[in-house]
Amino acid sequence: MANESYKERKEQFLTSSGINVQRIYDWTGAETADAYEERLGDSGMYPFTRGIQPTMYRGRFWTMRQYAGFGDAKQTNARFRYLLEQGQTGLSTAFDLPTQIGYDADHPFALGEVGKVGVSISSLLDMETLFAQIPLDRVSTSMTINAPAAVLLAMYIAVGEKQGVPGASLSGTIQNDILKEYVARGTYIYPPQPSMRLITNTFAFCAEHAPQFNTISISGYHMREAGSTAVQEIAFTLANARAYVDAALGAGLAIDDFAPRLSFFFNAHNNFFEEIAKFRAARRIWARIMKEEYGAQSQKSWQLRFHTQTGGSTLTAQQPDNNIVRVTMQALAAVLGGTQSLHTNSRDEALALPTEESARIALRTQQIIAHESGVADTVDPLGGSYYVEALTDEIERQAIVYMDGIAAMGGAVRAVEQGYMQREIQAAAYETQCRIERREDVVVGMNAFTVANETEPELLRIGPELEEEARIRLRDLRAQRDQTAVHASLRRLEQAARGDDNLLPPILEAVRVYATLGEICDQLRGVFGEYRPQHW
Amino acid sequence: MKRPIRVLVAKPGLDGHDRGALIVAQGLRDAGMEVIYTGLRQTVAQIVAAAVDEDVDCIGLSSLSGAHMSLFPALLDELQKEGANDILVIGGGVIPPTDVRALKALGIAEIFTPGSTVTEMADFIRSRVRKNRGTERAAADPASAPQVIDHIGVAVVSLEDALRFYRDHLGLQVVHEEMIPDQHVRAAFLQLGETHIELLESTSEHGPIARFIAKRGPGVHHVAYRVDSVSEWLERARSSGLRVIDDAPRTGGQHKLIAFVHPASAHGVLTEYCQIVQE
Repeated sequence: MANESYKERKEQFLTSSGINVQRIYDWTGAETADAYEERLGDSGMYPFTRGIQPTMYRGRFWTMRQYAGFGDAKQTNARFRYLLEQGQTGLSTAFDLPTQIGYDADHPFALGEVGKVGVSISSLLDMETLFAQIPLDRVSTSMTINAPAAVLLAMYIAVGEKQGVPGASLSGTIQNDILKEYVARGTYIYPPQPSMRLITNTFAFCAEHAPQFNTISISGYHMREAGSTAVQEIAFTLANARAYVDAALGAGLAIDDFAPRLSFFFNAHNNFFEEIAKFRAARRIWARIMKEEYGAQSQKSWQLRFHTQTGGSTLTAQQPDNNIVRVTMQALAAVLGGTQSLHTNSRDEALALPTEESARIALRTQQIIAHESGVADTVDPLGGSYYVEALTDEIERQAIVYMDGIAAMGGAVRAVEQGYMQREIQAAAYETQCRIERREDVVVGMNAFTVANETEPELLRIGPELEEEARIRLRDLRAQRDQTAVHASLRRLEQAARGDDNLLPPILEAVRVYATLGEICDQLRGVFGEYRPQHW
Repeated sequence: MKRPIRVLVAKPGLDGHDRGALIVAQGLRDAGMEVIYTGLRQTVAQIVAAAVDEDVDCIGLSSLSGAHMSLFPALLDELQKEGANDILVIGGGVIPPTDVRALKALGIAEIFTPGSTVTEMADFIRSRVRKNRGTERAAADPASAPQVIDHIGVAVVSLEDALRFYRDHLGLQVVHEEMIPDQHVRAAFLQLGETHIELLESTSEHGPIARFIAKRGPGVHHVAYRVDSVSEWLERARSSGLRVIDDAPRTGGQHKLIAFVHPASAHGVLTEYCQIVQE
């Protein structure tokens, strides 16, 4: 092997998950005709390795869904309408941190955070502004909201009511994935058990009242951003998914009533083929779990539908225009992996929130892949590639080892409570950082190929005056609304929380009479308490 | 004994991105500091109280939510109020250049943005804290002088041949073998009391060992002293005007943290500082 005339530039070639990449892949281990049916199947056929629909992008392109939101509802509404005019096909709402953690904009903890990482929403009034002149029956809206997802969903439904759009005509997604908040993202409010109840309540409510809504987007994205490997990303996500299915079954729901509305959210990172293989492996694992382990009957329950976002943590603050190239490759991996929708990051996100120009280039990147590259003209173009199939098999194998381990611990909720996933991710993140500092991993423009004098790009700035305006809006709202109705609705919510009733109807009732997000979440804090993580 | 540098790594505000904070905490610990991590969602008052309670030398603030212009200055005010403004404050996160300048003008000692290394941060903290403590010393502290030779590196043409002498003749035990790809080296470690003999064979004609042998023939290549903190010794070497080969500690054989002093500054012997890293 060690033929001097064919020296290789490294001892070993490893993917992010530590998979040892061979010099060349050949037909050894390639699929026989029987194995093809079992392991791949045509697109639209179990186990959906090649894609969930028969026609995939020949039918229609993935949804180009750029995550946006900043400042107040009026500013974000303007950005939304701009993106729709530019040819974006779905909305994706970023909320600021006070909203995500259930505090009104005038709460002391909101100091300095209002409108910073997303739009500030304190009441139905803000939500009405956010979707003004956007007909909710003609656009699908994704909302990155977790701990208070039920409240924001209720506000969305209430806006629909005001527009005359019934729940059955609303489509979109709430993230609603609390487990990964404890693991990686940090916007939890309540402890795991009541949080799981809020989630299963949402499943049940939507099955009846908003059947087109994806009730959860089970997310590996943030775990990957926190430093996990590709294998850990899908293993932990699917382990969390199992926990939600178990919770819903435990609450008495029937598998085929809620499973078709489960959706997923993954990262598209740098290692091109590993990422493509990861998406394919995730589809196959999930199909088998749903059919064989849970006995789901509906094909829709077997299909893993997912949104993808390119990897924010791969972006560099140095030479930010290089990020356009990174995003292009990552987006291409997501498309070749069969994503249902896609967000492409803007080049300036390691520096600040994206400017309008950066956001437009990011959207154009997707449009160029869709309309010019030809990659969307056939389904799963890399299916049958010796390398991609071998990687798909290996990622599947390693992910299942992790998932079995988590099952043996008593499931994802226990594993999260014990900090298992947190520790695994932290170890992988530290290892990555050490490789970068030792320059074993090259990050172009950052630890190699640097330039001496970086020019300073134009950046978007959010002014502090926003916080004051939000405070005034809240003061006026509290003065004008029907106080008796608000108090009565909050009391009914508290009673429901103490019992076993579904919490969505009382939340919707409170939202309609303009109880604020903070008031609703506080009412539940009083009953459920707050989550306090353990620290090492 | 000198007190180790103590650092409080803190997440002010509501931001949940703690990958950076956790990596910095772990990296500073590996650099020999004592690190306390606050966890998420700390108010400015909580952070200052923890810093005073824990008697830290440095507070490292991390924020990726854009709230840094409110939270970082608020923390400086609170430190002032508590009479603790001698504590060094640094920050990190997604912070645009204009804000970096503004924060430094207000008294944040340094802002480390994406792409910064933990090594840079450790060096920065060490040099500033030493200045703060006013303990810049000319001579090495005898208490922290190396107590043992960690290993002696011997450049050999062939490991197999060399083992015939060291293992078969002397009877030393081989305790570890390893490839060090970036140095183009295959190494075998033999136990001799607390010390190892490290036999080094080059895997490439361009590697440092191959070049050493070409110039000087096989033989003793370097002597490694075991120290408590490679980065402190590097700093000390630099401040005494010694010529160092490594700007920052790096990982060597057996995952130890190492750095070299040039033979020109060590009377003809390539000299290594070597620190065992606790798992």
